[in-house]
Amino acid sequence: MFENAEITIEDLPQAEAVEWQSMDPRFVRRKLTGSVLGIASVLVAVTVLQYILAAAFEDTGLGRSFGWLWLLPVIVAVPSLVWPLISVPKVAYAIRDKDIIYKSGVFWRTVTAIPFNRIQHVEKSSTPLDRRFHIATLQLFTAGGSGGDLNIHGLSTRTAEKLRTFILDRVGSSIEQA
Amino acid sequence: MTRIALGGTVLIVITVILSFVQYWFFRYQITDDSILIREGVLKKSQLNIKFERIQAISTEQNVIFRAFDLVTAKFDTAGSAQQEGNLPAIKSALANSLKDRIRAGNKLTDTEEVPQSQSELLLTLKAADMVRIGLSSDRALIFLVLLGPIFESLRNWIGTSVDDSTVLTAMDEPGFTLAGGIGVMVFVVVLLLLFLAAASIIATFLRYQGFQLRAETNALRSTGGALTKHEHAINLGKIQSLVASQNPLLRFFGCFRLQAKQASSGKPGSENQFVIPLCKADQLPMLENRIFSDKLRSFDLRPTSGAFQPIARNYLRSRFILIGLVPALIAISFDFMLLRSLSLTFLAWIPLSALVILTIYRKYGYATSTNGMVLRKGFLGYQTTAFLYRKVQRISITQTYMQERKGLATMRFYLASGSAKLPYVDVHMARQLRDYVLYKIESTHRAWH
Repeated sequence: MFENAEITIEDLPQAEAVEWQSMDPRFVRRKLTGSVLGIASVLVAVTVLQYILAAAFEDTGLGRSFGWLWLLPVIVAVPSLVWPLISVPKVAYAIRDKDIIYKSGVFWRTVTAIPFNRIQHVEKSSTPLDRRFHIATLQLFTAGGSGGDLNIHGLSTRTAEKLRTFILDRVGSSIEQA
Repeated sequence: MTRIALGGTVLIVITVILSFVQYWFFRYQITDDSILIREGVLKKSQLNIKFERIQAISTEQNVIFRAFDLVTAKFDTAGSAQQEGNLPAIKSALANSLKDRIRAGNKLTDTEEVPQSQSELLLTLKAADMVRIGLSSDRALIFLVLLGPIFESLRNWIGTSVDDSTVLTAMDEPGFTLAGGIGVMVFVVVLLLLFLAAASIIATFLRYQGFQLRAETNALRSTGGALTKHEHAINLGKIQSLVASQNPLLRFFGCFRLQAKQASSGKPGSENQFVIPLCKADQLPMLENRIFSDKLRSFDLRPTSGAFQPIARNYLRSRFILIGLVPALIAISFDFMLLRSLSLTFLAWIPLSALVILTIYRKYGYATSTNGMVLRKGFLGYQTTAFLYRKVQRISITQTYMQERKGLATMRFYLASGSAKLPYVDVHMARQLRDYVLYKIESTHRAWH
C-alpha cells in the first residue's frame, strides 16, 4: 500500500533531543601526554639553544641575557595543559537510525549532522600515541570538496571499530536508484 | 638567416613526426556496450567507458576541424575524473550517432514514452548580448584591478612632479605644463581601458557567438563559438546547485549569469559547471523550472523578489565590532604608543566599515520551500544559490557565545558542489530547518548524483 501521511514540522525527530555520547575518558590523558611530550621537546630545544648561545657569546659576555628563553616552555605549557581539559568535554556524538550527529567547539559550538545515505566512505586511523591509550580517529567522508569529511578523534578503539562497521552497514543498505 | 630557417624546418618536422606517432598509437573501438580508447607511445593507457555510465557528450570543433567535418567528443561519466575520456577528431556524424545512442540509453531506463530526439530552444544570445558579457566579465574586472597600479604610479608621478622646482620650471617652460602631462596620462589610461574592453568583447564573441541553449528530456545542451564551436551538455539530475550572479555591470544591464554546478572532486580549480553566460531577469524563472523540473515551484532566484527573509540585525553589531571598531582602535593606539603620532586617520575606517557591513547585511537573505531553498548574498552585486534539500550532504549549526545568548545561529549546508552559509538566523528556525532537511534526505529514495 502506498502511504503518504502528512508531516508537521513539530513532529519531525529533533536532532537536539538525543542522548549525547562523550569521548573516551582516556582521551584527555592521551591529549595531556601529547602536551607533556610537546613541552618536553621545547624544554630540550631551549636547553640546547642556551648552550649554543652561551658558547657563541662567551667572548662578549652576553651569554647571561638569554634567560628569557626559559619563558618559552612556560608560555607553551599553560594553554596546552589546560586546553584539553576544556575542549574535550565539549565534544560529543550521537548515533540515530539514519544519521550521525557530532558536536564540538568551545568558542564556536558546532553541531553537524551527516545522514548515512550521504557517506561515501569511512576511515579509521590511530597514531602510535593513540594506540598506547587505545584511542582511534574515525573519519567520515561525504561528497564535495570543502571540508567534506568529519573527524571524530577520541573514540576508544573498540567503539571506533563498532561504529565503522555499523555505519558501513547503514551506508550499504541505503543504496539508491539514480 | 639560413640557420633560423633550418631551425624552423627541424621544429616543423619534429612536430609533424610527433603528431603522426601520436596519431598512429591512438586507437579506439566502439563496441556494443562501451567505448575503448587505447593511446600513448611510451606510457600506454587503455580506457573503457561503458555507455550506461556516460551521462552526456560534449563536443568541440575548431576551424580546421570544421573544414573536414570533424569534432572532438568528450564523455562525461558519473564516476571519477579518471573515467573521463575524449575522442579527438572523429566524424561529426559519428559523434551525433553516439549522442543519439546515449539519449536512447538514458531513455530506456525511464519507463516513459518513446525516445524522441526532440529539443526545445530556450535561449539565444545576440551580438548586443556579447557586448554585455564582454563588458561585465571577470576578465574586464581583472583588467580594472591591473589598472590599479597604473593609477598608483600616476599618483606617484604627480606627487614627485609637484614639488616646487618642477612647478617653477613648468611655469618657465610654456611648452610642457603639468596639466598637459596629466592629460596625456589620462588619455593613455582611457585608451588602455578601451583596448581591454574591446579585447574582452572579442574574446566573448569567439567563445559564445551564436550561443543557443536547448532543453532535452533530461539534459541541457549549449552550443556556441565563433571559430571553435563548443557544444556542452549537462544531465539535469547531476546538477547540485544553481547559482545566479549579478555584478554591478550586469545589474545595470538587468541581466544574470547562471551556473549549474555539478559535484566537484574537491581539488580547487576542478569545478565542474555548466555556464549560461547571460540571461534576462524575466528568463530566470523559466530556466529554474527547467533545471529543477518545477520542484521549486514558488521559487525565485531573482534577488529582488519579495520571498527573501532578512537575517538577524545582530549581524551588523557583531561584524561592526569585529571588523570596524576593534581594528581601528588597535591601529590608533598602536600608532599613538609606538609612532607617537596623533594621526587619527584610522578613525575613517569606522564609518567606512559600517557602510560596507550594512551593504553586505542587506544582501543576505534566504527563502525556503517544500523541496529546496535559495540563499542570497553579495556586496556590490548579488549572488543567489538555489539547491534541493535532498542533494545536501551534511548540515552544521554553529553558535558563538554571543549568538547563544541572543538565540541566533549560523547554518552551513554542504553540497557536493561546495558549501553555502546562512549566518545569524533564529536558532529555533535553524534547528527546525535542519531537522526538516535531514528528514528530506533520509526519506528520499533518489540518489543525489
